[in-house]
Amino acid sequence: MKLLSKYNRVNIAATILVLLVGGLSYYYILRVVLIHQLDKDLKVEEQEVKDHVKQNNNLPKAASYRDQKVVFEPTELPVIKRKVSSINIYDTAEDEDRQGRQLVFSIESAGKNYKVTITKSQQETEDLIQLIVMLTLGIVVLLLVTLFIINRFVLNKLWLPFNNTLQQLKQFNLSNTTAIQLKNSNINEFKELNAAVTAMSNSVLKDYGALKSFTENASHEIQTPLAVINSKLELLMQSENFSEQQMQYIQNIQEEISRLSKLNQSLLLLTKIDNQQFKDTEKVDVAAVINKHLDNYEELITAKEIALTKNISSESIVVMNKTMAEILVSNLITNAIKHNIEKGTIEIIADREQLTVKNTGPALSADPNELFERFKKDKVNSESLGLGLSIVKKICEQYNFKVDYNYANGLHTISVNF
Amino acid sequence: MKVLIIEDEKALSESISTYLKAQDYICETAFDFNTAIEKTELYEYDCILLDITLPGGSGLAILKALRENNKTDGVLIISAKNSIDDKVEGLVSGADDYLSKPFHLSELSARIAAIIRRKNFGGNSIIQFNNITIDTQARTAAVNKTTLDLTKKEFELLLYFISNKRRVISKTAIAEHLWGDEMEGNLDFIYTHIKNLRKKLQEAGSADYLRSVYGMGYKFTDT
Repeated sequence: MKLLSKYNRVNIAATILVLLVGGLSYYYILRVVLIHQLDKDLKVEEQEVKDHVKQNNNLPKAASYRDQKVVFEPTELPVIKRKVSSINIYDTAEDEDRQGRQLVFSIESAGKNYKVTITKSQQETEDLIQLIVMLTLGIVVLLLVTLFIINRFVLNKLWLPFNNTLQQLKQFNLSNTTAIQLKNSNINEFKELNAAVTAMSNSVLKDYGALKSFTENASHEIQTPLAVINSKLELLMQSENFSEQQMQYIQNIQEEISRLSKLNQSLLLLTKIDNQQFKDTEKVDVAAVINKHLDNYEELITAKEIALTKNISSESIVVMNKTMAEILVSNLITNAIKHNIEKGTIEIIADREQLTVKNTGPALSADPNELFERFKKDKVNSESLGLGLSIVKKICEQYNFKVDYNYANGLHTISVNF
Repeated sequence: MKVLIIEDEKALSESISTYLKAQDYICETAFDFNTAIEKTELYEYDCILLDITLPGGSGLAILKALRENNKTDGVLIISAKNSIDDKVEGLVSGADDYLSKPFHLSELSARIAAIIRRKNFGGNSIIQFNNITIDTQARTAAVNKTTLDLTKKEFELLLYFISNKRRVISKTAIAEHLWGDEMEGNLDFIYTHIKNLRKKLQEAGSADYLRSVYGMGYKFTDT
C-alpha cells in the first residue's frame, strides 16, 4: 500500500467518525437550545393569559393559529399541576402529525376554574435545525474534498525528493563506479536521507574498489609463487636420475599445482562475474560457439566412445558477452563429457529460446538442488573442482536466464532458457 | 636466437632462462623497468618475454616504447593479471602473444618458437627434426617426403613436442596446450593420442622418438 493511500484511509475514517459524532451532538445541542427557547415563548404566552384575566376578569379569546393554539376548558379541579410536555399535533393542512410543545396550567376567572392549554408547533424550530445542520454538513464535506485534493497533489509533490532518491538508488550500479548524485531538498528529513544515502554509496564504492583490488592482488600474489613452483618442477623433471617413485611424486605435485591454479582462476572468474566486469554485450551466435567447443573436445568425446547428437538451430542468437557465452557453453560441454559413462550419449539441443544438454551418467548421490552451489560435487574425492556449474549459474543470473536440472532414466538434463 | 626475459621474480626468471638455454636460446635477463628499457633500446632480440608489473614502471610502457621506436622484436607478455583488459591492451599495443601465470615452461617455449617463426616468416616456416619436416604455414608434416595424415590435434601435438625436443613434458602441460584451461580430472585419454601419433610417424618410416617418462609425461628425443 502506498503511504498516501494509507494516510488517506486513516484520515478519511477519522474525519467521518468525527463528523458523525460531531454532527449528532451538534444536532441535539441545537435542538435542546431551541426547545428551551420555545418553552420560554410558552411562558410568555402564559403570562399574557394571566395578565388578561387579572385585568379583565374574563378569559381572553381562544386563539388558534397554525403554529400556536390556546384552549380554555372548564374544569372541576381547582388546581391543575402546571406541566410542559412534548406532544404530537395533527396538522390538517399537511395531513400528518407534527411535534410540538404544550403548556398546561389552571386559571380562575369569574369564579370558575379553567384548564388552559397552550400548544406551539415545533415545525419552524425543526426547519431551522435542519437548515443549520445541512449548511454545516455541506461546509464540512466541501472541506473534506478540498483536503483530499490537497493531500493528493501536495503530498505527491512533497514526496518528490524521496522518489528521486529512490530512483537513483534503483539505478545505482557498482560496476560503473559513479557515486549517487542527489538533488538538494529543503526538507530536513529528505536532506538527512540524501546525506545518508550519499555517504553510504560512497563508502560502498570505496569498499567495493578495495575488495576488487584485493581480489586482483590476491590472485596476482598467488599466481606468481605458483608460477615459480611450477617452473622449478619442470626443470626438476628434466633430470634423468629419478626413481619411479620420485617421478610419481613430481607428477602428483604438478597436478595439484595445476589444480590450485585453476581453482584460483575459477574463483577469480566468479568474482569478476559478480562484479559485473563483463559488461560489453553483442549478438552471439550460440550455434557457432557450441560447434567450436565440440570440435575442440572431439577427441575427449571419442576417447569415451560417447555418441553425440546435435540439434542446433542456426537462428540461436543471444545478446550477451562473448566471453561469458564461451565459458557457459564450454562448462556445459566439459561437464557432460566429464560426468559421462563409457559408451554413453550426449544430446545438445539449441534454438532461439533455450540450450539443453542431456548426457548419460550415474545418478547424483548429492542433493540436486545444491548442484549449482560452489564446491558441491557428487563424489567427495572427485577430481573436478566443483565450480563449473556455479559459474554456469552465475552467468545465467547475470542475464536473467533460467537454468534447470533434472535427472530421469539415467539422463542428466541441464537446460538454459534465454 | 636471442631472448630477453623481463621478469622481476628472480626465481621464475632463472627457471625460464635455464629451460630456454637448454633449447639453444641465448638468454638475457632484466629484473626492473630501467634495465629493461636500456636493454631493449641497445640491443635487438628475437623475442622479449615481458611481465606487466615491474618495479619502476609498467611492462606495457616498455612495449609502447618499443613500437614507437619501430622495433620489431617479438613480444610475449607473461602476466599474473589474467584480466581480459590487460590482455586486450597488450595485444592492441603490439604484443604478439599473451600467456598468463602460472604457465608450463614447455608452453612458453612453444609460444616463443611460434613468435620467432612468424617474425622470420618468408624464409622459415619449415621446421626440421631429423627426417621429420613440419610446414607451420601449410600445417602439414612429412617423414622423408611422405606426408603424414594427422588430425588437427595430432599436428599440434607433434609441433609441441618438436618445439620442446629432448625435454620431458608433463601430461597436464600437453592437455592444457591442446584443450585449454578447462581441462581437469583424468588425463589418461592423452595416451591414446600419443599412441596414434607414434603409430603414424613410424608407419611413415620415422624412428621412434617418443618416450614415455614414467609417472611424469613424455619426451620427444633422438638421444
